[in-house]
Amino acid sequence: MAAVEPPLTLRGDARVRRRRIVNRLAEAGATIAALAAVAVLGIVVWSIAKRGGSELSWGFLTKDLPLFGQPGGGIAPLLVGSALLVGIATAIALPVGVLIAVFLEEFASPAVRAPIQLSVDLLNGLPSIIIGVFVFGLLVYGHPQNGWAGSVGLAIVMLPLVTRATQEVLRLVPSSHREGALALGASRWRTVLGITLPSAFGGILTGTVLAVARAAGETAPLLFATSIFGRTINWNPGQALPNLPVQIFIWSESAEPEDHKRAWASALVLLIFVLVTSLTARLALARSRRKLNR
Amino acid sequence: MSEMVTMRPMRPVDVAAPREAESQTRETVFDIHALQASYGSNIAIKDVDLEIYRNLITAVIGPSGCGKSTFIRCLNRMNDEVPSFRHEGEILYHGVDLYGDGVEPVEVRRRIGMVFQKANPFPKTIYDNVAWAPRVLGLKKDLDDRVEKALQSAALWDEVKDRLKRSALSLSGGQQQRLCIARAIAIEPEVLLLDEPASALDPIATQRIEELMRELKRDYTIVIVTHNMQQAARVADRTAFFSLDAGESGRHGVLVEYDETPKIFTAPSDKRTEDYVTGRFG
Amino acid sequence: MGVRVTFQQELDQLEASLQEEGALVLRVLRGALNALGQRDVELADEVIAFDDDVDRRYLQIEEGIQYLLALQTPVAIDLRLVLAILHTNLHLERMADYSVTIAKLTKLVANVEPDPLLLQSLQDMGERAEEMIRVALDAFANRDLEAAESLVDLDELIDRSNRRFVDRVLEIVGEPGLREWVLRMVLVSRTIERIGDHAVDIGEQVAYLLTAEFREFTDASHRGQSD
Repeated sequence: MAAVEPPLTLRGDARVRRRRIVNRLAEAGATIAALAAVAVLGIVVWSIAKRGGSELSWGFLTKDLPLFGQPGGGIAPLLVGSALLVGIATAIALPVGVLIAVFLEEFASPAVRAPIQLSVDLLNGLPSIIIGVFVFGLLVYGHPQNGWAGSVGLAIVMLPLVTRATQEVLRLVPSSHREGALALGASRWRTVLGITLPSAFGGILTGTVLAVARAAGETAPLLFATSIFGRTINWNPGQALPNLPVQIFIWSESAEPEDHKRAWASALVLLIFVLVTSLTARLALARSRRKLNR
Repeated sequence: MSEMVTMRPMRPVDVAAPREAESQTRETVFDIHALQASYGSNIAIKDVDLEIYRNLITAVIGPSGCGKSTFIRCLNRMNDEVPSFRHEGEILYHGVDLYGDGVEPVEVRRRIGMVFQKANPFPKTIYDNVAWAPRVLGLKKDLDDRVEKALQSAALWDEVKDRLKRSALSLSGGQQQRLCIARAIAIEPEVLLLDEPASALDPIATQRIEELMRELKRDYTIVIVTHNMQQAARVADRTAFFSLDAGESGRHGVLVEYDETPKIFTAPSDKRTEDYVTGRFG
Repeated sequence: MGVRVTFQQELDQLEASLQEEGALVLRVLRGALNALGQRDVELADEVIAFDDDVDRRYLQIEEGIQYLLALQTPVAIDLRLVLAILHTNLHLERMADYSVTIAKLTKLVANVEPDPLLLQSLQDMGERAEEMIRVALDAFANRDLEAAESLVDLDELIDRSNRRFVDRVLEIVGEPGLREWVLRMVLVSRTIERIGDHAVDIGEQVAYLLTAEFREFTDASHRGQSD
């Protein structure tokens, strides 16, 4: 007769218990960190809203900039100017960014691809102040300030974002679609234009919107190119255009408390714009990803 | 009273004459000599010699990895898309070397279409799937007629004629594959290359594709790669059996036997063929 | 478009060819019986030549079956049909060969004045055999199990005719000029009996096709002992 074995309890020993405690602590730590991140965002939004909310009104959004030292006024010229600057920057960055992405994903040989990919990534990490100085040196020095230069600066900021987003979506297009198109006798370019890009369209749009949200708040490139501007709405990019980020900076430096309030309100407007566009863009991206993978 | 019966010999009505001797009077579409295909340093197929005849269904069978897909992709230069692809020997299409100087892969693929293992309809409407290539290649006249004819030839028209504007992805697997066939037919190729077209389909859908192939061979020359021997037996007029050969440079695919299908499946000349079709091959 | 239309067509063609072979066999047998009854040597020669047609048809059907099995891998009822055609093809070919035997025997003794009664009983047996062939072919075509099983009873009728034949043989076997003729006629009667047996075999194939069971039909001698 064999020796009787101790009955199974499945309870585990001290080592297992210790591991369980460590697991719980790690989980708790991660959760707290996540909550902290959310909290920071919440605090930022809350404090800006509190300080700037009172100044917000329809008049604020539609009036011209206030005369020096005068109360009232609005930020209409800033909105128009920023829209113009970002609009022109998008018109530059979107096609160029998409073309670079198409080249990298569809046409480049591995030898060519690596250095260009690296350049795009480096451009992505370039500090915006350096972009600003570069734009100043190339396009502004010796000329009056103008919106074109500012847009170019913003375009450089947007370019890697558009390229990266486009690349990601292009990769999601199944290669079977490309194969099918090629097998029908279509050239590579026709395939890209007719099959690959349309499939990637949603993602490209989203990437662009995210780039726009980013560019809307970039200050450094504009500081050098279009920081001295008039009080009224200006549609001419050949001149310096009023814009939100620079004006927020100027007002925050001012001695007048009125100006501070205006700065908070403008910051709130900018914040709302960035949050709303970012959120919509990401939701749309998720939807287009799901559609492609069906 | 017994009848006067004369014993004049009667001419016997044809018993199921199984696809015999058709190839002897046929035109040659592909004339392949000493074909070798490799990816980088890997030789995929070697020393392939055969002729493919017009308006016949030619099947390519063999075990996994024997180079069937590589072979068929040489016929429409789809292998060009793989950077490391190299070839030797020649493939003459109506006497013209497919890989000759000045030959455009785009032109090759207009005449030699391909349908893939897994149906790959574009994320467009059913109509646009069929109409896209003709538009791109400049065949814009009477596009509606062209689309309808192609869908009819693919035995899909009746099922989709009321929903041409619906997404192609709403079709079933078998329907999608027939859509891909319609798409290939729409540009009026001469040859259809089918790379395991039914392997992802259920038996009923497979049968429909096989019946479709029999109809299509009246107008097209069809080459089909299949890992399903019985499919080749049912459908093909001629069968080419590829197998693996171990050489000094590693294993590569070779053409073992190429003959009329009834012969391959009743009395093959090569023992390797017999081992494969009887299932004794490992 | 239905599925496996071509396969069905090939199967139908094969069966149609078999029925045509059956029609040929009936003509051959009728020819042999007529030659026997009228002592027609020319007719007998035609019958012997005509057997070649039957043989050609037989080989064609054999080849058709081989290809159908190799290329279409039939299963279930399709497989049983092909196997039934295979066996029936054989039986038909044998029946044609036996008819040739009758024709040859006729030629050997064509110059002898026959005994009418004996000849009549042979003609009766021959007609019974013809009827059995017809019933067997119809049973196959119509997938009629009852008709197939009735072949056993028809075989019984041949037996009865044969008994009358044997009686008559015993009556006339003494007559000197007739002895060789009677010998040949006995062989003829055996041959006709065998034709009847093959017809019963075809009936068994029909039963196999319909029931998926192969069983020998009980004949008169075993009745009451089955199951």
